[in-house]
Amino acid sequence: MAAGFKTVEPLEYYRKFLKEACRPDGRELTEFRTTTINVGSITTADGSALVKLGNCTVLCGVKAEFTAPPADAPNKGYVVPNVDLTPLCSSQFRPGPPGEEAQVASQFIADVIDNSQMLLKEDLCIAHGKLAWVLYCDLICLDYDGNLLDTCMCALVAALQNVRLPSVKINEETGLAEVNLKTKHALKILKHPVATSFAVFDDTFLLVDPTGEEEGLASGLLTVVTDEDERLCATRKPGGSALAAEKLQECISRAITRHKEVTNLLQEALASVKSE
Amino acid sequence: MEAVGSVLREYGCEQSLLSRPDGSATFLQGDTSVMAGVYGPAEIKVSREIHNKATLEVILRPKTGLPAIQEKNQEQLIRETCESVIIGSLHPRTSITIVLQIVSDAGSLLSCCLNAACMGLMDAGLPMRALFCGVTCAMDNDGTITLDPNFRQQKESRAVLTFAIESTERKVLMMSNRGVYSATELQQCIAAAQIASEKLFQFYRDFIRRRYSKS
Amino acid sequence: MSAVSIEDAVGQIVLPGDVLVLSTQSRDAPLSLSGPSTSNRPRVVCGPGLMRQEDDLLVNKCGLLRHRDPAIYWVDSQQKRYVPVKGDHVIGIVTTKSGDIFKVDVGGSEQASLSYLAFEGATKKNRPNVKVGDLVYGQFIVANKDMEPEMACIDSSGKANGKGVIGQDGLMLKVSLGLVRKLLIPQNDIVQELMNIFPMEVVIGMNGRIWVKAKTVQQTLIVANLLEACEYLTAEQRKHVFSKFSDNVI
Repeated sequence: MAAGFKTVEPLEYYRKFLKEACRPDGRELTEFRTTTINVGSITTADGSALVKLGNCTVLCGVKAEFTAPPADAPNKGYVVPNVDLTPLCSSQFRPGPPGEEAQVASQFIADVIDNSQMLLKEDLCIAHGKLAWVLYCDLICLDYDGNLLDTCMCALVAALQNVRLPSVKINEETGLAEVNLKTKHALKILKHPVATSFAVFDDTFLLVDPTGEEEGLASGLLTVVTDEDERLCATRKPGGSALAAEKLQECISRAITRHKEVTNLLQEALASVKSE
Repeated sequence: MEAVGSVLREYGCEQSLLSRPDGSATFLQGDTSVMAGVYGPAEIKVSREIHNKATLEVILRPKTGLPAIQEKNQEQLIRETCESVIIGSLHPRTSITIVLQIVSDAGSLLSCCLNAACMGLMDAGLPMRALFCGVTCAMDNDGTITLDPNFRQQKESRAVLTFAIESTERKVLMMSNRGVYSATELQQCIAAAQIASEKLFQFYRDFIRRRYSKS
Repeated sequence: MSAVSIEDAVGQIVLPGDVLVLSTQSRDAPLSLSGPSTSNRPRVVCGPGLMRQEDDLLVNKCGLLRHRDPAIYWVDSQQKRYVPVKGDHVIGIVTTKSGDIFKVDVGGSEQASLSYLAFEGATKKNRPNVKVGDLVYGQFIVANKDMEPEMACIDSSGKANGKGVIGQDGLMLKVSLGLVRKLLIPQNDIVQELMNIFPMEVVIGMNGRIWVKAKTVQQTLIVANLLEACEYLTAEQRKHVFSKFSDNVI
C-alpha cells in the first residue's frame, strides 16, 4: 500500500513524513547519512580516499606529475580536480564527454580549492619557472545517490591529506630532475573545507544531506562550504525556491557543526592509516 | 560614491531590438553589457520534451572563443534561477531557449546576465510568478562592501558574491561566490543586495512604463 | 510592488509578481463557475496574464491591465509569439498532407491539425483542393496546453463564412500580436481608412499574420508597409500619412 502511494504521489508521500519531522529512511531533517571514510584505498595512486555517504560513493585518486609552471605565475603548481559521473553510477548518465552536472561539480570543487586556500600552490613548485607538480585529482562516482558535492569534497580533502610526494632535486650539472622515492613528504594542507548540502521542500522544510530521490523532488538545493575558522569558502544555490536570510543562517549553523563531525571522522581515518 | 559605496553603476536597458527572437533585450551595467534573445514557447524535439512543463535551456556565449566549463557553470545558475520563476506548467511540451551573448565584461558579469535574461523573458511575454534581478557585491579586506563592482574592484577584493533576488518578498533565489567570508558578512551582503534590488525593480517598472506609454 | 486594489491598477502598468486585490464586494462572490452573475456580485474572469492566487489575482506578464464590465480583467502585452486559443481566427501555412489531415503551421509551439472534411462542401468523395504551401484562414476548435491544436475552416453549421484557402497571389506579412489586436478592435478604423484609399482584400489572423491583396503589386506593398507602420502611429499621425497617399492615388 505504502509502496503504491509512493509511486503515484511521491511528493505527497514525503510531505506526510515531513509533517512529523522525519524522513522515510528514518533520519531526522538535520541528520546526515552514515559517513564512511577510507583513506589510501588505491595503493598505486599518490594519494587516495573512498568516501561513502549512505549509498553515495565517491573514489578520489590523486596523481602527481611534473609540469612546467604557468607563465604568469612561475612559482606555482596546479591542482586539477575532475569529477567523473560514469554510466556505472546511475542510469541518468550516458557514456561520452562529461555532462553538465559533472562539469559544474568539477568547477565547484576547483572554486573551493582556490577560495579556501586549502593548500598553497607555491608549495607545489619545485624549481622556479622550470618545474612544478601538477596534482590531478580524479573524483569518480561509483554510486550516485544524491549529495554529490559533499561526498566529493570530503573525498578530495581526505585524498589530499593522504598524498605523499617524493622529494625532488634538480641536478646542477645536467639540469635534470632527480627523484628520490625513499624520502616522501606529505602536502601542507592549511584548511579543511567541508561541504554541507541542503534540499528545500515546499519552500519551508530544510533537509540536510538529501538522497538522490529527495534531490529529484526538492524545490531547491543549497550547498554551504565552511572551513575550521567558521568562515564560508563557498555558498552555492542554483535557483530553486527562494530563501530568506534567516533560513540561510540556519543552514550555516548546521554546516559549522557538520564541519566538526567530518573533521573527527577524517582524523580517525587518517590515524588508522598511520597505525597500520 | 556614497558612504559604503552602496551605489550601483549606471544601468540601462533596451528591449525588442532583435527581429527574429520572440523576446530580446540588452542590459548595461557600467561598461558591462549583455544581450539576450529569448525563443519560446517553441517546438521541441520529442526526446527533450517534459510532459508537464516547458524545457528551459540557457546558452551563454562568451565574447571570444567557445563556451568553456566556467560558462557551463553560469548557464546552470541562470537556468535554475529562471526556472524557479517561469510558470512552465502553462506551456508543457515546449521549449524555452534563452541565448545570452556577452558584449563586454567589465565586472559583475553574472548579475548583468541575470538582468538581461529577466528583461528578455519579460519582452517575450512568458508567464512568470515574479521577477528577479542580479546583484554582485565585492568585499574588501576590511569588510567594506562595494555593490556592482567593476573589473578592477572585483580583482582587488577578498570575496565576490552574486545574488539573484526575487521581486515579491526579496528573498534569495540564487547565490554564487568567490573568496572567503564570514556568516555575518554574508548576511550584510544579502541585506545590501536586497536594498539594491529595490532600485533595480523600480528601474524595471519605470522602463516598462516608458515602453508602454509610447504605444 | 505590494498588493494593490484591482480598480486602481486598471489602465496602469503591471509586472509579473504583482498581486491585485479584488474588492471585498467581488471577493464575497460565490466561487461558482456557472450560474448567472448578478449585478452586485459579478463573477471575476481572469484573462491572459492573470491567474488566481488564493483570494487575489497574480500577474504573470507585463503590460497594461485592462478591464471590461462586469469583472473581466486581462493584461494587454506586446508579445511576438502566438499561443493558440480556442475560437481564434488565424492564418496558417499548410506544411504536410498526411492521410485525412493537413498539418498547418500557425506560429505556435506545435503545428495544428486540419481535417480535410473541415472545409465547406467537403465530403469523403469530394476532397478540397489544398496543396502544401497554401495559406488557410481558419478557426481553432481545439486549443489547450495539453492537446494538439485543431483547426476548422467551417463553423458549426457547416458554412465557410469567409474561412478556407486564401487565394494564390497577395502578400502575407508578419506583425506583432499587439498590432493585430489593435486592428481588430471594432471601433478601430485603420483598415476602413486604408480601403478608402486602396481598394483591397485583407485577412487578419490573430496569430500575427496579415494577408493583403490590392489592385497592383505596388499597391499591395504600399498597404503592407502602411499596416506595419500603424503600430507606432497615433490617430492624427496616421491620418496625416494616409492623406498623402490618397492625394497621390487620385
